[in-house]
Amino acid sequence: MLSRSNLNRLAAFWRHFPAANAVNLTLIIIGIMLVWLLISNTIENPARYLPSPIQVVLSSFDMIYKGLLPSYFGDTITRLVVGSSIGLALGIPFGLLLGLNRTVADMFYPMMNFFQSVSGIAIFPIVVVWWGNSDKTVLAVILYTSFFPIAFTVLSGVREVPLRYIHAARTLGASRYQIIRDVLLPGSMPHIATGSRLSIGFAWRAVIAGEMLAGREGLGWMIFTGQDADKTSEVILGMVMIGVSWIILDHYLLRPFEADTIERWGLVQR
Amino acid sequence: MPAKLVVEGLTHHYPDEYTGESVHALEKINLEVDEGELVTVVGPSGCGKSTLLNILAGLLPYREGIASVDGVQISGPGSDRGVVFQEHAILPWRSVAKNIGHGLEIKGMAKEEREARVKDFVDLVGLSGFEDKYPHELSGGMKQRCAVARTLCADPVIMLMDEPFAAVDAQTRITLQEELNRIAIATKKTIMFITHAVDEAAFLGDRCFVFSARPGRLKAIVNINIPRERRIWADMNADEEFVSSRDEILRLVREEVSVAVEE
Ligand SMILES: Nc1ncnc2c1ncn2[C@@H]1O[C@H](COP(=O)(O)OP(=O)(O)O)[C@@H](O)[C@H]1O
Ligand SMILES: [Mg+2]
Repeated sequence: MLSRSNLNRLAAFWRHFPAANAVNLTLIIIGIMLVWLLISNTIENPARYLPSPIQVVLSSFDMIYKGLLPSYFGDTITRLVVGSSIGLALGIPFGLLLGLNRTVADMFYPMMNFFQSVSGIAIFPIVVVWWGNSDKTVLAVILYTSFFPIAFTVLSGVREVPLRYIHAARTLGASRYQIIRDVLLPGSMPHIATGSRLSIGFAWRAVIAGEMLAGREGLGWMIFTGQDADKTSEVILGMVMIGVSWIILDHYLLRPFEADTIERWGLVQR
Repeated sequence: MPAKLVVEGLTHHYPDEYTGESVHALEKINLEVDEGELVTVVGPSGCGKSTLLNILAGLLPYREGIASVDGVQISGPGSDRGVVFQEHAILPWRSVAKNIGHGLEIKGMAKEEREARVKDFVDLVGLSGFEDKYPHELSGGMKQRCAVARTLCADPVIMLMDEPFAAVDAQTRITLQEELNRIAIATKKTIMFITHAVDEAAFLGDRCFVFSARPGRLKAIVNINIPRERRIWADMNADEEFVSSRDEILRLVREEVSVAVEE
């Protein structure tokens, strides 16, 4: 009999096999594809409103053949990686430094809170005024978008590191620098992880929006111009590419990082 | 020989920012701890035991009185005074071995030398086989063993312990007390051990400082003349010296608790 506990045991057993996960994922994707196919076959003018998955795949072949898709993809990923790496590389130490001193932290807190709420898109117009529709503009927006969420999250994180850990290090004779390195930095790792996820997620949105607004070639631009040119299959292709790249990024970069740090240390339970 | 730890006329008030009144935690404490001695401090809850320990650890600044270790006035935390806290304060992001070696790492000791020393202390507290585990994978008793080893490994002049076994279950606590006694024999460390449990104070102490209810004063000193080698829980209830010391401490503490209740 398949009782509830048996089902749970089966699920737990299943989860230990990456292959099983892959099977599950494939089943889900096939399911979505079928529903999608069904809908696009029942509506009128699917090429305009909802091209079938087959059409999208065909248009991806076409774009790969023309060399457009790899080039757009490369441009977008480069912008994202450059922009958000700089954003994280500056934001983490900045948040950490601000968080060290209570008075400084309290002073900067409202300002950081302000900027992390003003989204990258909102500052886009003014950056265009400064630098025009350039790559520099898109990069600046991505950098801005990734910097503030991580800096703000780390700032809050440093202040939440339990005092007893700091005391323990101090009674072992730790210097200020050693306390930062051995206690505050690892202690704010859960926040660094969450903040990085937020930052990169926001940067993803910013790069797409930035390309659309500034007219720089890339996946965002592809979606935008695909609509103008009435090539809905390219719009959908762009959307799928964005989603899939995020999942890959998350799976191969963010998740292993979390597994090696905060999960290994028991700071979060999964 | 001069005492390792000297406290003279130590008084402490906690200011209250909101009411402007202050909490009088310690009143003119005078005490000395000799080299290699294990003293216990016992007193009712809220009598200022942790306050005293935090001052000695250098974590709490004090204005009135003197506190010194080896003749050097205490003016901040330092590796000459090791602390074992009540709550688990070993770092969750360091393995057992890395936690125990942390003090040596801070001092800049070379890796090979450090690892050899860490191994000795892992063995001393019975954590062999758990070196690579992280704190969340340990039981409460093992966490405190790790905390004790971490403090010992940094080789402090005096070890300060604030109710380190209060949060573990009764069975584990008895084991930990016997282990600490064994460690005291093996390392000859100078130790100040704070507790609110009377039998723990009598079992572990060469001397026991009994504190009055707040403001904490040193009310009495009880000597417990039992050789460390004989201190095994199974024999204690038949040990006249233990029973009489414990009852004496109990009587002294009871007076204070009733005073606190009447107030
Ligand atoms: N940081 C603090 N600020 C104000 N009052 C405090 C503080 N810490 C402790 N106290 C007060 O000082 C007294 C002694 O506290 P404590 O030293 O923790 O006692 P014990 O460890 O003996 O239980 C208590 O009345 C407590 O409420
Ligand atoms: Mg206390």
